[in-house]
Amino acid sequence: MIRTQGLTRRFGDLVAVEDLSLEVREGEIVALLGPNGAGKTTTVRMLAALLAPTGGQAQVAGFDVAREPQAVRRHVGVLTETPGLYRRLSAWRNLEFFARLYGVRDPRPNIERYLVLLGLWERRGDPVGTLSKGMRQKLALARALLHEPAVLLLDEPTSGLDPESARSVREFIQELAGERRAVLLCTHNLPEAERLCSRIALLKTRLIALGNPEELKGQLFGTKVLVKLANPKPDFLQGISLPFVKEARLEGPTLAMRVEEPERHNPILIRRLVELGAEIQYVTQEERTLEDVYLELVEGEDEA
Amino acid sequence: MRLKELVAKEWEEVFKIRLVLFSSLFMPLLLAGLAAYLVWQGRNLPQEAIGAQVALFNTALMYFMVLPVMIPVTIAVYSIVGEKEQGTLEPLLATPISDWELFLGKALAAILPALALTWGVFGLFLAAVWVMLGGVPGMVLSAPWLLSLLLLSPLLALLGVLVTMLVSSRTTDPRAAYQFSGLAVVPALVPLIVYSARQAAVNLFLVGLEGGLLLAVDLAAFWLAVRLFRREEILTRWK
Ligand SMILES: Nc1ncnc2c1ncn2[C@@H]1O[C@H](COP(=O)(O)OP(=O)(O)OP(=O)(O)O)[C@@H](O)[C@H]1O
Ligand SMILES: [Mg+2]
Repeated sequence: MIRTQGLTRRFGDLVAVEDLSLEVREGEIVALLGPNGAGKTTTVRMLAALLAPTGGQAQVAGFDVAREPQAVRRHVGVLTETPGLYRRLSAWRNLEFFARLYGVRDPRPNIERYLVLLGLWERRGDPVGTLSKGMRQKLALARALLHEPAVLLLDEPTSGLDPESARSVREFIQELAGERRAVLLCTHNLPEAERLCSRIALLKTRLIALGNPEELKGQLFGTKVLVKLANPKPDFLQGISLPFVKEARLEGPTLAMRVEEPERHNPILIRRLVELGAEIQYVTQEERTLEDVYLELVEGEDEA
Repeated sequence: MRLKELVAKEWEEVFKIRLVLFSSLFMPLLLAGLAAYLVWQGRNLPQEAIGAQVALFNTALMYFMVLPVMIPVTIAVYSIVGEKEQGTLEPLLATPISDWELFLGKALAAILPALALTWGVFGLFLAAVWVMLGGVPGMVLSAPWLLSLLLLSPLLALLGVLVTMLVSSRTTDPRAAYQFSGLAVVPALVPLIVYSARQAAVNLFLVGLEGGLLLAVDLAAFWLAVRLFRREEILTRWK
């Protein structure tokens, strides 16, 4: 549904996005993650045929963004970084206007549907200027959906929402992807990306990593096995100097080890420890958060 | 279709602003009233004072040349700066509206009311003069006057819009945009002031000359404004 090859955008001398190759399939939510100025919004704008790429290509909903921009616009729903609504017009009128521009013949059923789904039905007649920030954000999301686009580009959809609203919007986005749409979601909220997205693209002008959250964590840190002992002894460290143990340390009562293939090697390791007389209380896997991964990658890129 | 939607939206939005309502409804009525008063003042001055009469009549006509610039400037300032200020340009440009439709929609939303109001209050002015004087003076119901209204007004309205478009793309402050765009009123004033100073009535030569000049300036401004109204330009260069 979205496919880019070597997508690049320069502003004069500044390279905002460089050589981005990415694919988002039908029914999939992919997170576009990256620090401020990483080029997320620029990417969204290129995919929405708002900005022309200065290099590379992108197909969105089957159309080329550079050659068939109008077709792309017809099939894409965009939630822009700021809601961008007419403050003096009512919520309903805002949606109606945009729906008509998208060529929706009778927008009423969809306007009603999305206003109800997003909890804005009661406020439909109020001027947008009198709505709260979160309500405007939701209204802008509704606007992105009126023409039932196959591809959704959401630039920070939950920024500025209270936890409850953020959650309802997240659930809503999940349903949308369930309706066989492709969703690209820019966010700074790592737990959100982890919960919602099947894959994460880490962008910092260039694509620095791509994969599902588990893969990213594994790729970066390997997995650490933690064994909590009732009788920690430095002797155990010598006892387990096996070829597949890459690193072993005793941290208080816990033996922390990095092994090549945990699922195959852990049983051997544990048997060995038991033979050495270790009294094992717990065996766990070290939890790395997506935040660790993110910071590691982004900072690593800085040094490079 | 999209054009109609856009124009309807512009009117709905912009006429909710008090300043716009004021300058597009109250000002035309006020100026038409003043014009009628001037014509009444100059109704039967003696032959020696013909110069004064001409000046009064020219000033009356000038009011009807100012209106078609002032109204579109006011509307366009708010319809363009307002769009920037509310951050609606990006979602607007994300729709399949063409650059042309956007440009034309903004222009028509400002020009159409300007012409309708100018011609409307000119009709009221004629009626008022007719009532007050029992007839309309020949100098008023003359070819130069009527041509000014039919030919120069649209050209002036176009100039007002185009200048506002150029200025508004560079600022987010409606007041500043308003002040700079107001300069578009100069071509409406200068020729009539010059003629009045020479105590000469507007004639077809003046109307033709001004029409030609306005057309040239309009074309140049149009060329520039169309270039400004490209998606890429709007998103990356407008401040
Ligand atoms: N119109 C423009 N003209 C010049 N430079 C631009 C323009 N738009 C974006 N840039 C630059 O491109 C880079 C990427 O910006 P972009 O807005 O895409 O970042 P982002 O990842 O969305 O950041 P954020 O998380 O802050 O929203 C930045 O260095 C920015 O200054
Ligand atoms: Mg951004």
